[in-house]
Amino acid sequence: MKKRYSAWLLPIVGIAVTILFLFPLYWMIVTSLKPEGEIFRTPITWYPHTIDIKSYTEQLSGSSYNIWNGFKNSAIIALGSLAIATVLAIPASYGLGRYKFPGSGVFLLLFLVTQMLPSSLILTPLFILFKHLGLIGPTYWSTILANATIGIPFSVVTLRTYFAGLPKELEESAKIDGCGTIRTFFRIMLPIAMPGVVVVMVFSFLFAWGDLIYGMTFISKESMRPITAGIYTFLGFQSTSWNNTMAFGTVSIIPVVLIFIFVQRYIVSGLTNGAVKG
Amino acid sequence: MCVHAITLHRTPNAMNRVVKALLRRHQTITGYVLVLPALIYMLFFVGYPIIDNFRLSLLDVNVMNVSHGEQPYVGLQNYRDLFEEGILVTSIVNTMIYTAACIVLQFIIGLAFALLFSKSFRFAQRLRGFIMISWLLPATITAMMYKFMFSGDGVVNELMTQLHLGSHVDWLVTPVPAMITLIIANTWIGIPFNMILLTTGLTTIPKDIYESASIDGANALQKFVRLTLPLLKPAIYSLLVLGFIYTFKVFELVLIATHGGPVNATQMMSTYAYKLSFELFKFSHGAAAANVMFVILFMVGVLYLWMVRREEVSSS
Repeated sequence: MKKRYSAWLLPIVGIAVTILFLFPLYWMIVTSLKPEGEIFRTPITWYPHTIDIKSYTEQLSGSSYNIWNGFKNSAIIALGSLAIATVLAIPASYGLGRYKFPGSGVFLLLFLVTQMLPSSLILTPLFILFKHLGLIGPTYWSTILANATIGIPFSVVTLRTYFAGLPKELEESAKIDGCGTIRTFFRIMLPIAMPGVVVVMVFSFLFAWGDLIYGMTFISKESMRPITAGIYTFLGFQSTSWNNTMAFGTVSIIPVVLIFIFVQRYIVSGLTNGAVKG
Repeated sequence: MCVHAITLHRTPNAMNRVVKALLRRHQTITGYVLVLPALIYMLFFVGYPIIDNFRLSLLDVNVMNVSHGEQPYVGLQNYRDLFEEGILVTSIVNTMIYTAACIVLQFIIGLAFALLFSKSFRFAQRLRGFIMISWLLPATITAMMYKFMFSGDGVVNELMTQLHLGSHVDWLVTPVPAMITLIIANTWIGIPFNMILLTTGLTTIPKDIYESASIDGANALQKFVRLTLPLLKPAIYSLLVLGFIYTFKVFELVLIATHGGPVNATQMMSTYAYKLSFELFKFSHGAAAANVMFVILFMVGVLYLWMVRREEVSSS
């Protein structure tokens, strides 16, 4: 029993709700394009009356740190963490999903628990550990290693359900055709689980991309810190230059938006898999 | 080769058993080889630090002796210091208020969104996708946006004046409004998560239940309270616990938007532990504060696993 008005009323309500909900995002981008003088003008301007891209091109005052440098640092950290997390998590999830062995239940539980721990919990001992390893200083390594610990458990838990769900006949027929364990994995199982692999790679990247706490604690050299740390630093100044900071924010969400556009449908499924079935 | 040599002269039954045992051993070895690298990584970079937290919290480690030098054992003195000083207790209370408020708001709005976007209309799927963006953004960016919108001359105050909703509020520098701002910002982050999980929950409810309820004369509200909510129970359970864990984690949002201020009014456990270690360089006090956080999380985690286990038992 469908009501008449729903054909046009529901889409309008839906669009209105979405626009209202995403207003903060619009406001950030608009502010980044306004000249300094227009930002706090009263009455407020809802769109930039003069477009000014200066905030994207100039280095932020009083520092050698600029947007694109921060972008590069974040990319190095996020890609490094993504690589470690993927290389370690794919075999682990395959093992937990397809093989029965004593202790597998406990192992899964350990991954589940570590997924829930906040970074702030282990920050102090981790800092001291890295200090002893000589990794506190002008290096990306400590931050990359630490951020991979967020991607790994999420990837293991999410991918395990993928691998566990694949029919047993796949493996058996591959074995009959003479494929060994390794060949079966690379030729048959991995390609089928690709949507799941994409999801966990995306999330491992995003977790590390959004990191602030590790990057600003472990990397001593300001010009090597991620873009989020740049934002933190510039927000700490007495007079915040808002169009510059908003430009920082806009640039830092570029990968998030790109990822969102290309793998959106995978993300929804990955999220529900990891969270509900986990 | 070896297998054949041993089993040739045995009965078929015994042969089967040997093959099975070998297969099982093969399974075990392969399983361990696959899982151990990731597990060892996690034990080294997460497991060890958690245990080291306890050791650190019983010593006196500060900026002078963090790399080398003697680190004296002080027993529970660090914990005593923290509880006497009082900010730790404030931060526990703040974290609890913040977490409870966020979970409730996220759930209510998330459920409303889930109900709206699970109706079949044009663009419904696409719009739901757009809403996901707020969940994917780095918390630092969200904090920055809200700090700007709620600043003294920001768009929120401007709107309130234009719509005659009230007078100018210094959101981020007054205790209660600062907390409200953080709750609004975090709710914004958490809504998509609630929406998606509840949407998944809604799609598992068979449509014909509603039809038979309509035939029995139930109205929309009755159907919602009597059918929808009870059938969503598993999704609601996991949302409450996961919501708690994800909200409890809050760090970037608070650090950037209010930095725990004004005067600790929005100080959370995570930001306080950070402040002790990396702004005051009292590493042992930071470790002790983190440990208190760990105990609280541990209890909630056990509760969650117990609930999952119970659900599994009752559904199988």
